[in-house]
Amino acid sequence: MLVLIAYPLLYGVYISGFNTNLLNKWDFVGLKYYIQILSDTEFLNKIWITLKYAALVVAGNFVVGMSLALLLNREIKFRLLFRAILILPWLFPDVVVALLWKWLYNPLYGLFNYLLQSLHLINTPIEWLDSQHFALFGVAIASVWKGYPLVMIMLLAGLQSISKDLYEAAEIDGCNKWQLFRHITIPGLMPVTLVVLILETVWWFKHFTIVWLLTAGGPINVTSVVSIDIYRTAFQSFQFGRASAMAVIVFVICLLMSYVYRRLLETNDQ
Amino acid sequence: MTNKKRVALGNGLVYLILLAMTVAVLIPVLWMLSTSLKNDTELFTIPPRWIPEDITFASYQRIWEDYPFLNYFMNSIMVVSLSTLIALVFSCLAGYGVSRFRFRGKGMFLTFLLVTQMFPSIMLLIPFYKIIQVMGLTNTHLALILTYISFTIPLCSWMMLGYFQGIPKELDEAAAIDGCGRLRTFIQIVFPLSLPGVSATAIYSFITGWNEYMYALVLTQSEKMKTVPVGIGQLIGQYKIMWNDMMAASLVATIPLSILFVFFQKYLISGLTAGAVKS
Repeated sequence: MLVLIAYPLLYGVYISGFNTNLLNKWDFVGLKYYIQILSDTEFLNKIWITLKYAALVVAGNFVVGMSLALLLNREIKFRLLFRAILILPWLFPDVVVALLWKWLYNPLYGLFNYLLQSLHLINTPIEWLDSQHFALFGVAIASVWKGYPLVMIMLLAGLQSISKDLYEAAEIDGCNKWQLFRHITIPGLMPVTLVVLILETVWWFKHFTIVWLLTAGGPINVTSVVSIDIYRTAFQSFQFGRASAMAVIVFVICLLMSYVYRRLLETNDQ
Repeated sequence: MTNKKRVALGNGLVYLILLAMTVAVLIPVLWMLSTSLKNDTELFTIPPRWIPEDITFASYQRIWEDYPFLNYFMNSIMVVSLSTLIALVFSCLAGYGVSRFRFRGKGMFLTFLLVTQMFPSIMLLIPFYKIIQVMGLTNTHLALILTYISFTIPLCSWMMLGYFQGIPKELDEAAAIDGCGRLRTFIQIVFPLSLPGVSATAIYSFITGWNEYMYALVLTQSEKMKTVPVGIGQLIGQYKIMWNDMMAASLVATIPLSILFVFFQKYLISGLTAGAVKS
């Protein structure tokens, strides 16, 4: 395991110190790329886009996933049927989700424009993914469609692990619904929420497939998340050193984010 | 009475939200199905029809005959099942070892398992690309298998660890008293008891491998070695996008996962969530 993960990782850091095409050119440049990248407003802008994208997706996943988990945790009819259908998007490969949504968003023949037009909400077709204002939301919506089931499953399991006795005891003590939720459900869910939140943020921060296939970073870079930038730098302009340096910076950002979460949520807990 | 009414209203609201979400999930899926059954002209009619006038399975035939999807499927099945098998062996042994023995650096090992989930996979992409190149494995199944197990083994070990911890140590001890060796105890006693956990882990690893796109895109350049996601992904780059063929291929690519899921859903969900809920 050390060989499979730790070695490539360190090797990545090593590559970031060289101006290299990975074949015959290995010019040592030290920290030059880091300095270049960090003083490059273009790159910082892409980090900002990635943050916006990850925040949108994680927030969406949590709002949808949490509410569905709470609803599915109640005693209702057809619970298993609902659960089975609501998990469905999780089973679709990223590539399939991306293509499906690209087809739904299609300005001429796509379903969304047709539905909106037949409801007379819009008159002319909207070019969803080619619009500078909507593209990022469009990509985020497709990602939430794919991503919320995992949050839902995790939180549902968290809810079910909270002991029923706690609720009964609190009800006897005269707590109302809101107090039950505030003082039992939320603290009980805290540990799962923390784990899921950290994993989700990191996953979506580095996400590639859906964005790449839906917009490939366009229009005019409004959806150019950092992983697309890295992919382009490495495999289209063959600047492997520079791309590795970017990847290392992304890694550091991911670590920082998980650290911040842990501090925030743990102090909140006490 | 008012109280009852409120409860009824509340329940109504619950169903309303659930139904709305179900519709939001099903509309894209049904649209996919409907598109895949259309012929080339009906694909581009305005307004689009939900139920095609002329239902045709031509797309489903074409993906096997006109596109090398059979090849893609064979590649995917090969890579994914082998990597699942390897990941399973390693994670069972690692999980069992950690759950039963005390050793130096155990805490660090556990933290390491979780931290690996935080690596941006894109960060490992370039080093892997180079390492695979140096080893002369570009365009081989082995290249993909190696990369896939590198990111499934840590989480799988974590899942298996959670499962093994739930199996009482007394069983091991009883077996030891009866003269079982460590390996035999594991194979004959602990492993059969942990089958639900094992199947959850296997499915997790299978899904991860089956859906993986970025590494396969970079590590396999020859048409012969491409996996299903890469094969589907490149349909979009073509001059004229045949949405019906693409949707048919997409649906077919989702089928193996759905079948697995239907059979193992209970195990998968409990296995996936065990680690997160306990820690």
